[in-house]
Amino acid sequence: MISTGMYGIDDMLAGGIPEGSRVLYSLEPGVDGQLFMISTLYEALEKGRSCLVIIPHTTVDAFLHDVGELRGKSLKNQDYRIAILDSVDRERIQRRVGKGGTADQEWQARIKKLCIDNKVEVIFGYFDIIYDDFGLEKGLSLLSRACCPPESTIIIEHLNLEGDTFLESLAVRKAFDLVLAIKSSFRPLPHFNYFTIVYTSWSPQLRRSVPFLVKNGHIVPYIPKIVVTGPPESGKSRFVANATELGMSVDRTGVGGDVTTVAMDFGWLHWKDFDITLYGTPGQPRFDPMLPVILRNAMGVVLLVDATNHEQLTRARHLFKTITKMHVPIVVAANKKDLPGLISEEELRKTIGIGKNIPVFLISAQLKEDVRDVLESLVDSITRFIY
Amino acid sequence: MYSYKTGIPQIDQTTGGFDAGTNLLLLAPSLSYAEQLAYTLTKPLPGEYAIMLSTNERASEVIDQFKIAGADKKFVGVIDAITKSSTPSVSDTERFMFVTNPTDLTGIGIKFSHMIETIFDGTFSEGESGLFPPPIRFCVNSVSTLLMYRKLEVLYQFLHVMTARLKKIEGFGIYILNSEAFDEKTLSLIKQLMTIVIEVKVERSDNYFRVMGIRGVNADWHKFTISKGQVILAL
Repeated sequence: MISTGMYGIDDMLAGGIPEGSRVLYSLEPGVDGQLFMISTLYEALEKGRSCLVIIPHTTVDAFLHDVGELRGKSLKNQDYRIAILDSVDRERIQRRVGKGGTADQEWQARIKKLCIDNKVEVIFGYFDIIYDDFGLEKGLSLLSRACCPPESTIIIEHLNLEGDTFLESLAVRKAFDLVLAIKSSFRPLPHFNYFTIVYTSWSPQLRRSVPFLVKNGHIVPYIPKIVVTGPPESGKSRFVANATELGMSVDRTGVGGDVTTVAMDFGWLHWKDFDITLYGTPGQPRFDPMLPVILRNAMGVVLLVDATNHEQLTRARHLFKTITKMHVPIVVAANKKDLPGLISEEELRKTIGIGKNIPVFLISAQLKEDVRDVLESLVDSITRFIY
Repeated sequence: MYSYKTGIPQIDQTTGGFDAGTNLLLLAPSLSYAEQLAYTLTKPLPGEYAIMLSTNERASEVIDQFKIAGADKKFVGVIDAITKSSTPSVSDTERFMFVTNPTDLTGIGIKFSHMIETIFDGTFSEGESGLFPPPIRFCVNSVSTLLMYRKLEVLYQFLHVMTARLKKIEGFGIYILNSEAFDEKTLSLIKQLMTIVIEVKVERSDNYFRVMGIRGVNADWHKFTISKGQVILAL
């Protein structure tokens, strides 16, 4: 397997990219996605693999400088097994043969020679200029087994100006083993970048989409807002505290010594390579005017219910109705499984109105494993959500 | 909705300026005042920001031109597609970003997004801030050069994305195209992406412009000169 250099993505791909695969990183214009290809390149080089990099849009010096700055770590070609074909080579080819004509044969010859001379294992190609020069068929054949060693892995970055129809056409003809599209969206957050695993030939998994940040030269998948809501005393603050590594709760102690959340709970965790932020709402109805503010831009919601308290179910039903209107993934966690008098899952579903497509977990918010199970399910649903 | 003043009295007095989201094609022959006119249109007024994609001049030269036009350089950003080919190690700053050459549409798109982000998060102008949401003028100088490096179909798709983004952020886009260097098909395709066209012609060393696409503004030719960033109409 070849690592993508992004461990969260390797997990989703069942360990990385199988050797000999053909991969497309498709970039929507303006989306900061160049680090996807660069992360994979660094990973391959650092594992000692011999790489050929085809950069018809720029020069060797400018490329090495730019990727060094993007990654925060300089890339000196003498330190690694790397061969490069750049814009100067493209100009030489154009001068020799004129545009079109036999330029593709000249490219083929150069790629083949570099692959043989350097025993190349992984080829990284920036496609859009090649596409411009030769069209789709000829362009793809330049970066295929026709020119590259049969066992080599080919990774292509392309500025996709044609949108989803272009990607669908590639998926239909099975031109790639992995198509990963990097895009931006304005919903449910005001603006965010995300990647979608459109297709893999080696894994039957469904299409997945994950928001990401660029942090210190790395791609970090992230979920900026998961909200935990539920009736009073259902265990939301405990759930947030046990789910997260850092956080705080704005609580008030009543006359009888009981503690209740009066503003919100907040926590952060880095988990399975994801940066996740959790917000907990107050449960008392008098704080309901705050709910839309806290729920706004949430990418998923946990509804926490005290599974031993029948009196809370009406309130839980009301909150469930509110969150279903948001059209984001929801998971229900029935808390206090360790106490007597548990309400059955069937009754919970019936009384609150929970559909079959929404998972219900019986948990104890005191147990970190239970809390993580709920989060894992919600994160899985969020990554399968189509933006 | 925000209105972008043009500095052209004939337009500003009639319309109050261009609506946010306007994309304007500046169609002009070589050796005309088109570039100066573009700087006048792009110059940020107080509270505004400007971004110039330069395929013909280095960032330092672009800033000099803006200074001549009377702009505050703290509110001007440049995406420079010239300097990096001779100085590969040049690094980006908040207001100066570099791509190797005009073929690199991926890089141009990303640098544009970065600048918009820094404008929105308030880190663009050394702690000074303008209006919010920020009015942003964006100029491509020039579409003609981009067309020499990339195919018309590709550039059309790219400009389609850029003009749409300008609309989304309620900016004002200005795109310079040489009217003599391209065929009718090219001109008409690029015009399709625009809201307004300003055409410039030169007769006996005098420059004229006319405006097409604004209701209430006639498309007559107007003789003009430009001095210190001001458009002066000849009576």
